[in-house]
Amino acid sequence: MTLSDTGESRVNGYLFVLERSLGTFLPKDVRADAVREIESHLRDRIAAATPTPDERRALEKILDELGPPLRVAQAYSAERTIDEAVTTGRMVPMLRAIWHIALTTIGGFFTALGLFIGYTVGAAFLIVAALKPIFPNNVGFWFVNGIPTSIGVQFPVPPGTEMRGGYWVIPVALVCGLGILVGTHRGARRLLARWRTRREVAL
Amino acid sequence: MPLDNWLEQLRRGSLDLAILLSVSTGPRYGLAIIQHLEAFTDLVVTEGTIYPILGRLTREGLLEAKWVEGEAPHARKYYRLTHLGTKRLADMKAEWRAFSEKIGRLIHDSE
Repeated sequence: MTLSDTGESRVNGYLFVLERSLGTFLPKDVRADAVREIESHLRDRIAAATPTPDERRALEKILDELGPPLRVAQAYSAERTIDEAVTTGRMVPMLRAIWHIALTTIGGFFTALGLFIGYTVGAAFLIVAALKPIFPNNVGFWFVNGIPTSIGVQFPVPPGTEMRGGYWVIPVALVCGLGILVGTHRGARRLLARWRTRREVAL
Repeated sequence: MPLDNWLEQLRRGSLDLAILLSVSTGPRYGLAIIQHLEAFTDLVVTEGTIYPILGRLTREGLLEAKWVEGEAPHARKYYRLTHLGTKRLADMKAEWRAFSEKIGRLIHDSE
């Protein structure tokens, strides 16, 4: 079957949506290769299809069998990002994979939310440790009327608030921050490994 | 667990083996692998999702991919088993046979 201009537009539209969807997760060269392979598949299927006056219907059947571009992109993302994250444990692939699972299912969203909180709290402790030597009077444990209310950085110090904690805050915050970050990262890697095994994405 | 879910898990679990078997007799491109699987099994539900699996098997070093120009108006990406892939396939086949034999014995015993 040879496609009309309308049919070509439909194919190009499919590939465009696929490429855009893959763009969130895949590096440029991998994305281009994936789109090229899917286009090759489509061209083969179209060439093998029996010519028909109802080109639109025949083309939609081919595209349906291939699957919606978002679903295909999701399958690519699941295979690629989670594998890379679990194998390497590097931060960027980990964040990509966490983002992916957050968008995939409700369970994945809450898992990703928990991991995000873990990373954020860990990073906050490290920021506290880094800022204490620079702003010794603005970083520490905060008390209002003798009651502890928070730990961290206050600019400016609110009236009625008292800062406690000397330079010992630095090693404590460092240990807490690194501990939480390492724990969260290990937990994230383990969760992603389980996620990969379960292959949550619908194939 | 509903039967459909169980079948889905079974299908997913065996897809890697089925793909490796498809290319064990010689290099094939994506659509040829899909058509081969469709001829023998009902493992392929959505064609487009086979390609990410091919990509993963390639990254794992079990398959080797190569674009071939000139045999069609467009290029085709061919996959072939690597040495590691051949070894893994042999292991997977042995495991599969042993596993299905055990389950077969259980079924036989229960009837």
